[in-house]
Amino acid sequence: MKTYLISDLSLLQQHLSQHFQFHQVIKNDNEQCHWQHISQGTTQPLIYDKPLSSAKSFFFAAHENLLIFNGEFFQETLPSPSPFVLFGVQSCDLSAIKYQDKFFAEDPYYQARRKQCLLVGLDCNSPCEHGFCVTVDAGPGVRADTADLALHPLALQQWLLIEYSEKGALALKGLSLKPAHSNYLTQRDLTLDQCEQQFPDDSYIVDGIKTINSNNVPDTFWQQLAIQCVGCSGCTTLCPTCSCYGTRSIKKNDQQITQQRFWDSCLYEGFQREASFHNPSLEAGSRVQRFWQHKFGNDFFKEFEQHGCVGCGRCEQTCPGVIGVHSVMRRLTDDKAKG
Amino acid sequence: MSTKLIKTLCPFCGVGCGINLQIDSNNQLMGVEPQKDHPISQGKLCDKGWSTAYAISPSTRLTQPLKRINNQFHAISWQQALSEISEELHQIIEQSGAQAVGVISSARATNEDNYAAQKFARAVLKTNNVDHCARICHSPTVAGLTQSLGSGAMTNSAQDIFETDLILVFGADPTENHTIIGGHIIQAQLQGAQLIVVDPRVTRLAKLTKMHLQLNLGSNIALINAMLHVIIKQQWFDKVFIKQRCEGFKQLAHHVKNITPESVEVITGVKADVIRSAAKAYSQAKRAMIFYGMGITQYMSGTNSVISLANLALICGHIGKAGTGVNPLRGQNNVQGACDMGCLPNVYPGYQAVNGSKNQEKLSQAWRTQLSNKPGLTSLGMTKAAQSGDFRGLILFGEDPVVTDPDQNHVKYSLKHLDLLVVAELSMTETAKLADFILPAASFAEKDGTFTNCERRVQRVTKALLPVGEAKGDWQWLQALAKQMGSEQLNWCNSEAVFNEMALITPTYQAMTYQKIDKYFGLQWPCTDEQPNGTAILHTKEFPIGKAKLILVNHTDIDENTDINFPLQLTTNRLHFHYGCGSMTRNSPLLERETPPGILFINPFDAKDLNIAHHGAIGVKSRRGYLETRAMITDDVPVGVVSMPYHFNETPSNQLTNTAQDPVTKMPELKACAVAVSPLPPDQAPKTIHQLRGES
Repeated sequence: MKTYLISDLSLLQQHLSQHFQFHQVIKNDNEQCHWQHISQGTTQPLIYDKPLSSAKSFFFAAHENLLIFNGEFFQETLPSPSPFVLFGVQSCDLSAIKYQDKFFAEDPYYQARRKQCLLVGLDCNSPCEHGFCVTVDAGPGVRADTADLALHPLALQQWLLIEYSEKGALALKGLSLKPAHSNYLTQRDLTLDQCEQQFPDDSYIVDGIKTINSNNVPDTFWQQLAIQCVGCSGCTTLCPTCSCYGTRSIKKNDQQITQQRFWDSCLYEGFQREASFHNPSLEAGSRVQRFWQHKFGNDFFKEFEQHGCVGCGRCEQTCPGVIGVHSVMRRLTDDKAKG
Repeated sequence: MSTKLIKTLCPFCGVGCGINLQIDSNNQLMGVEPQKDHPISQGKLCDKGWSTAYAISPSTRLTQPLKRINNQFHAISWQQALSEISEELHQIIEQSGAQAVGVISSARATNEDNYAAQKFARAVLKTNNVDHCARICHSPTVAGLTQSLGSGAMTNSAQDIFETDLILVFGADPTENHTIIGGHIIQAQLQGAQLIVVDPRVTRLAKLTKMHLQLNLGSNIALINAMLHVIIKQQWFDKVFIKQRCEGFKQLAHHVKNITPESVEVITGVKADVIRSAAKAYSQAKRAMIFYGMGITQYMSGTNSVISLANLALICGHIGKAGTGVNPLRGQNNVQGACDMGCLPNVYPGYQAVNGSKNQEKLSQAWRTQLSNKPGLTSLGMTKAAQSGDFRGLILFGEDPVVTDPDQNHVKYSLKHLDLLVVAELSMTETAKLADFILPAASFAEKDGTFTNCERRVQRVTKALLPVGEAKGDWQWLQALAKQMGSEQLNWCNSEAVFNEMALITPTYQAMTYQKIDKYFGLQWPCTDEQPNGTAILHTKEFPIGKAKLILVNHTDIDENTDINFPLQLTTNRLHFHYGCGSMTRNSPLLERETPPGILFINPFDAKDLNIAHHGAIGVKSRRGYLETRAMITDDVPVGVVSMPYHFNETPSNQLTNTAQDPVTKMPELKACAVAVSPLPPDQAPKTIHQLRGES
């Protein structure tokens, strides 16, 4: 693992933008952070704020055509993007990409985009609102197997650049870089450790995960919780690991039919309803239970080697019914305490 | 993978949530996300908001003006459309006078569009025949609260939900229809506020509280009068507030003296002790807030029901302070604004009465033309006059009365009877199908302007996309039509110029500018020189009419009772997945999938009695019409009551509903009529209304 000391970040940005379509998180005019394409020749300062919409749509498109039938032939609609870089992805979202890489391992549409992407991670040096990445081992520092390169902020506006993959090394070719002393890595560990200490008490989340896996949660708990699920799809839209999709045929004329897939939500009643109207998850309570089981259940942990939740807390922010992750975990723990 | 994030407003309900549109490099709308720092929605959206990109997707949009020739629509140029419409309007006015033409504007369009629409009617056509859909949602609010308090709008703000001790939700289903406010109510309750729900149906909020008063349809006033009786008898009222701020307390006390909770048990179906404890909780709470909706207004007794809620708040002093008030939940994104702009037949912008000669003079002077002082026709008045041939030409935009108005067959017949029907729309609707000319309208994402939400907050809408095809914004095509008719009245250079002219003549908007609205995340009216940053809470020191009026109102029975032929009561409701006539939400594959196109909610007891299965095909009949749909068996409706949403043009509940009206506002009684329900033979799918009529 090679490390470099960077004193002018814009040189790295400019170098990468010569070879990759460059994307970075910026703020719009009402201070909301979002991923944006940065045109070649310009650079933007790196910001630490977590964008409300994660990087998920770069690989798993919100809606995309899977194939077109023109009356005679099926036409493939595989995307062919030019190489692109996501510059400054936070550890939670990187862990989510790793999770989705497994889920979509066989998905040619996802993989066509994913293989073109260079991921440059960004360490967080302080906890964010609703964030609990530490609890689910997804941050605040970039995990080695989740990014090609990673940046760690140092004092005096210097950066530690860590090379994690061959793809990362290749991307740095041609740029003259100053190797960093190993002390800097030690300093990084120290800073991240300090950052971890700053996270608020997470015992109710740890307990909540245990409770979910204890099979001791009565159906009535989920039913009561589900009254508050208004089926808005906000949590599943913003969740960086959620991967449910639906498909539909769009008829353009008598000849042409396009098969489209779009982001779906397992919390919708129609998600699992069969043509006969039979529905294995008819009750809202069972859908809410399934959602949290998917995020924290041991079986899924075994399969993916990580939780289905990366601790970003976006669901807490966006749930109108007050059943985001913190609210649910607190209630699970409170209810258990009440017996 | 957006390249731009444009800040604007959600186009659905009256909550007015902040939404960001994600635009890609090809200038296509990819998706949306909520605005984190929006004062009301704080990073949240409902399912409708999240589906916005589908709602206005170009694939279903009208892109060119269309003209009906031999019962088929043919694309024509804007120039041809405008010159032919103009000619026909001139001809009708010449032959039958200006009262034979009118405009129905849209609570989904901007304030600028609505201001232009009423000015077009008044200053170009020279008629006060202008109205919009508030007629069928909150016209009783405007009429009732204006009499009681002097102002017909939400008295407090959404943020007050977090400053109150008790929330009384009366005839409203906020988690479904105003989801973000519904969510605030859930959050406030979790944080310790008491919640009382008064509703014939077991709504989501009703399931979250022990205090659910499941009253009979149409018994609101009886219940409130009994609560007033208890509060007065127990001396739980606010003596100081009544003395300083109200008129008519003695008469009110006398009026409800004998209306004991026991005496209304049969009418309301609510036990006397439950009424007593609700009266105690509401009156004894330090701060208590009332929210209400269509379950109050959509009755013949709508205006009186609004008045009685005002009575309740007034005698307890729960008004004019943080965390209190009488708060109507308004349905559409800009229904408050459409009313404020004067798209009503009896008032100019800012509720200045048409029949006051001073106002007429003021407006005539401002617009430099003589205006008519004769109040115009309401929307139902226009359709009625169309049948007799007295009303001949209608311009309508952004509304689908064929689906949303009561007694569909009657509406359809009337519209067909017109000599000229012009409809401007995003996509083809049932009403547009009847038009002589259809004009392609721009969506909210293709416009600059303002919407006014239910808490009187005027907020900015920002143009993020170019209009689809040849579509135009509403004030822009109204301007073109006015020009074609030889009038310069609508000659503004941009939306801001429209707004500035409006603010000049609308007292409550007087100190507003686009810059200030942007700076303060919206401004709540009244925004005047005295209140330059707007007003979050109304009536803190005095009412616009001085002292508030306690007005005596009586329970009145609903118009159509059940009988042997029509043994069930039908009420209407909304589903949170859909909005209005469904013309936007039904474009989303997700929302469209959630429910079959049309459903009837029925109690298991009635379903068993009638041999109806869950999702089974059924026929529903009233004295006015017949339709077929599917049954959804649920305890959420009481025995004897069935409920239907009105979003679906295949199974329009308004085939069945009653046109009996509130005498004050002509609000139709959409919330109660008598029906008969029967199962269809096994294996027979429900037919759509079009199939039943043999249209397809």
